[in-house]
Amino acid sequence: MDQLYMIFDKFLKDFYTVVVENNRWQMYLTGLGNTICIALVAVFIGTMIGLIVAIIKYYAVNNKKLWLLDKLCDLYITVIRGTPTLIQILIMYTVILSSVKNGVPVAMLAFGINSGAYVAEIIRAGILSVDKGQSEAGRSLGLNSNMTMTLIILPQAVKNILPALFNEFIVLLKETSVAGYIAVQELTKSADLIRGRTFIGLPLFISAGLYLIMVVGMTALQKRLERRLAKGDNR
Amino acid sequence: MITVKNLQKSFGGNNVLKGIDITIQKGEKVVVVGPSGSGKSTFLRCLNLLEVPTGGEVWFEGQNITDPKTDINKLRQKMGMVFQQFNLFPHLSVMENITLAPVKLKLQTQAQADEQAQRLLARIGLSDKAHTYPNQLSGGQKQRIAIVRALAMNPDVMLFDEPTSALDPEMVGEVLEVMKELAHEGMTMVVVTHEMGFAREVATRVLFMDNGQILEEAPPERFFGAPKNDRLKEFLSKVL
Repeated sequence: MDQLYMIFDKFLKDFYTVVVENNRWQMYLTGLGNTICIALVAVFIGTMIGLIVAIIKYYAVNNKKLWLLDKLCDLYITVIRGTPTLIQILIMYTVILSSVKNGVPVAMLAFGINSGAYVAEIIRAGILSVDKGQSEAGRSLGLNSNMTMTLIILPQAVKNILPALFNEFIVLLKETSVAGYIAVQELTKSADLIRGRTFIGLPLFISAGLYLIMVVGMTALQKRLERRLAKGDNR
Repeated sequence: MITVKNLQKSFGGNNVLKGIDITIQKGEKVVVVGPSGSGKSTFLRCLNLLEVPTGGEVWFEGQNITDPKTDINKLRQKMGMVFQQFNLFPHLSVMENITLAPVKLKLQTQAQADEQAQRLLARIGLSDKAHTYPNQLSGGQKQRIAIVRALAMNPDVMLFDEPTSALDPEMVGEVLEVMKELAHEGMTMVVVTHEMGFAREVATRVLFMDNGQILEEAPPERFFGAPKNDRLKEFLSKVL
């Protein structure tokens, strides 16, 4: 009983040290804010790039004029998927955008470009999963290819894309933890800084818990979207 | 209305259409029959350029649709098409399926399109299905709605690509009934089908295709009563 009390007492003292003392809770909030900002902007950039690349690759199948763009898209996907994210971030920070001293926008861009390659393949697969007859029906009504894509193909593709896309968003959110390498104080870095100053491991668990809460929230959002998109499915 | 000159289509090295010539007048109901793989669906799909011909020309209402400068989207608005697999849009309600194209192409306001859709649905007896989704409908209902969706564009010609081949036998009748009604109203129709009864009853002209060519074309009485081509005689002896 005494031992249990001592463990609990130590936990409280540690918690006080790593959260309350010197207003350290602010460091978690700063880190959380940076993590969320980087992830959100990167998701936006990644989705835009992914959508454009996927659509180019979709049209390039039947349009010889797009072959060069198609090859460039292939190159982009190959290079991004074939090299470590951390190296891409470091190259972006130390070589390409070395004049930008604030790592946050660099991280946003680098993670966005990274995510785009994965999102492109997810969206391309989603578009291909829609039956060919759907686009033929749209075109036969006189809709042009853009209208057919936006009104008929993409709305149906979204349903197939969503699970894989959220999976990518979750991976991306957690992957932002490597932004600490380019001096961005995101959640992981914050926790590790506090650990380094206090010699207490608890901050790592706190940050892990915060990631977990965010991922659980995203999963809940995914389920809600899936339910909403399921209309028309019931037989 | 439609003139086809020496139409050819090959997929890779496979020549599916080997020179088709035919003229279809306004108000005609042309039924195309033939064995599987004879090229009849490909022929039909070349008429609205869902398949791009590898040779020859297709003229529709005075315009060469195979000319790259022609605005094919404009011409397709006047050529309704009905598919074997219905191809209704599953993410849209029946009403939205019918009104999507006329509204998005700015041919009608939403109110006009809705009213027309209601009228068309009433005609095929499916008014109560206006707000359901395609997956809740039977095959016959889906195909009738697909026909109505094409009609909502007020086309000058309707192309039917084996419209009853994917249906349960008991639902074939209701779809053919709608097509017959359409024929009686004077719609120009090109129908690829295996329904010989429909061909006999509705067609003004029946074409027999085999191996990428039209081997015989005749009014239904002569086509079924006194076929000349040996291959057609053999075909009819099997299907009738």
